[in-house]
Amino acid sequence: MTSIRVRLLLSLLAMLALAAALIGAVTYRSVLAETEVLFDYQLRQMALTLRDQGEIAPDQVGTLTDEQLDFVVQIWTVDGRIMYASRRHPELPARALLGFADVKAGPQVWRTFSVATRDKVIQVAQPVQIRQRLAANAALRSVAPLLAIAPLMALGIWWLAARALAPLQRVAAGVRQRDEQSLAALPTGGLPDEVAPLVQALNALLQRLGASLDAQRAFVADAAHELRSPLTALKLQLQLLLRAPDDMARGAAVEALAAGIDRAARLVEQLLTLARNEPGAPPIALESVDLSELVREALADARAYAASRDSALAFDGGPGCVVRGERSALTALVRNLIDNAVRYSPRESRIDVNVCREGSKVVLRVDDPGPGIPLEDRGRVFDRFYRRSASDEDGTGLGLAIVRSVADRHGAALALEKAPAGGLRVTLRFDAATADQATVVAAAAAHPPSHVAGARADAT
Amino acid sequence: MRLLLVEDDRMIGESLRSALRLAGHAVDWVRDASAAHATLGSERFDLVLLDLGLPPGSGPSTTPPLRDGLDVLRALRARRDATPVIVLTARDARGDKVAGLDAGADDYLVKPFELDELNARIRAVSRRHSGRAETTLAHAGVVLDPATRQVTRDGEPVLLSAREFAVLEALMARPGALLSRAQLEDRLYGWGEEIESNAVSVYIHQLRRKLGADFIRNVRGVGYCVGTVPADPA
Repeated sequence: MTSIRVRLLLSLLAMLALAAALIGAVTYRSVLAETEVLFDYQLRQMALTLRDQGEIAPDQVGTLTDEQLDFVVQIWTVDGRIMYASRRHPELPARALLGFADVKAGPQVWRTFSVATRDKVIQVAQPVQIRQRLAANAALRSVAPLLAIAPLMALGIWWLAARALAPLQRVAAGVRQRDEQSLAALPTGGLPDEVAPLVQALNALLQRLGASLDAQRAFVADAAHELRSPLTALKLQLQLLLRAPDDMARGAAVEALAAGIDRAARLVEQLLTLARNEPGAPPIALESVDLSELVREALADARAYAASRDSALAFDGGPGCVVRGERSALTALVRNLIDNAVRYSPRESRIDVNVCREGSKVVLRVDDPGPGIPLEDRGRVFDRFYRRSASDEDGTGLGLAIVRSVADRHGAALALEKAPAGGLRVTLRFDAATADQATVVAAAAAHPPSHVAGARADAT
Repeated sequence: MRLLLVEDDRMIGESLRSALRLAGHAVDWVRDASAAHATLGSERFDLVLLDLGLPPGSGPSTTPPLRDGLDVLRALRARRDATPVIVLTARDARGDKVAGLDAGADDYLVKPFELDELNARIRAVSRRHSGRAETTLAHAGVVLDPATRQVTRDGEPVLLSAREFAVLEALMARPGALLSRAQLEDRLYGWGEEIESNAVSVYIHQLRRKLGADFIRNVRGVGYCVGTVPADPA
């Protein structure tokens, strides 16, 4: 029973029934009490009149013997012989209790009043049922109007509920009309106070959904656009390979094609990394990560690329640099920072990577001697696919966007500055893991014997 | 033909340059908007292949500023330069195509594209540009088909090298027009390509041998032409 209308209606009917029962019961009791007093008085007066009168007048006899009359009068002599009975009532006992008494006689209960004189006993009796019937009738009369208007009230409630719920119907129709493309806000005008918050909440949700959809759409559009370049290159490289007039040209074309495939693969990989770390991506599974250790591993992976440019990677990792985060995302962040530093620095450069504990923060710094990023560009370099110039390096334009997304998801502060060596310094400040979170990592790290906290490693 | 390729992507640029050279064109390649603007202002090209998504580059600032390929195109047309331009871009929205064509592009090709289609469009645009309806160049019994890269003389096929073909195509494109040795060299060699000394004379000699001694005329000190030499070569 989930319909508000039906529920309202049934509740109303139940309340009406309850009220009728209550009113009926109260009326019955009070009328019964009133008739008790009244009839008792009547009984008593009748008995006393008969006593004082001495004998029954002949005109009274007719009245008393009337079958319609509820009262039964019996008179006995003192020794118990019946002198008079208005009607024969075999159920009524042939004795009397003086004063008022309830007498059970056969199926009926009788109210009796008896009075004694020197020579006789007079009893006037009346069935109790009469009194109950009177009370019941009175109760029914008082309840009747309520029962009469119950159907009217039900109809009224039915109509009122329909009217009150009409705004909800309108909202439902409005929501139904919207598809995944139109997330415009629902109108809030003319809504009752009880429904307006629902619609406002719906609108807020629609707005958030719309923003998220727009972001997704923009991401997909950007991705599709950016995938065109490597695909165009691949297509051209393949056609060039097919048209190569000699072995030398064919060799060069194969080499170019391989480079093109590497580039496309890298772009796709970077896109996936970014998509996993975009706002709105599923929440990350936090674990305690020793940032020094993680950077050391990332540096080991980056050595080949650095060596290809005759550049050196210098690392200084302090102890106690445990943060809460997602290992793979943090690895992507560090790799992109190192990759960028090597890529945009001249050949034979030295890249300084530093991880240290500063109070409650774990700080990661990457310094390069490259051209740096001018102040006016520092806001935009984090935009995905933003490239500052057509340099000879085949960056995907996603490195810093990934760095920012991962930093944001880890609540880390990200800053670009001028490095002491003149190039770019990227600084990331993570919240350090609490002591008990950190010990988990320390215990785990104690197993590989090669691990030395705070070691300094220079790599070329 | 001498082409200017404006493309910021290194891989696409390298591949396109190789492919266009393979098709017999001399290709110069620039990678940003201001370099494209400067090059188009100082040198003549038979056709420009223009990418739209270009970095501004570091050239002298211009008014209006050159933010992308479309600005380069507008600046070119504002100078009343009629050099044919084919836009090569990843922007495939209808609005972008309309904007590109309305900015003065002769054709619009969306990446990724087929080399065959690009070559056909280059031929079509240059045909329209020179006001020809027929797809072949013909003069005095010699027919040159740019699409199949075949030359016939009185119906008999003539075998030409890529460079010989390029020289002949340049001369036959406008019969009667004189082309200097430097102009012919421009059509043969892109920037950075080593120019073989006396190369043009060698190719002319070969062509005359294959097509008849008087097919190409030489105006000493001025240049070469196919067909009637203008009355006053000076």
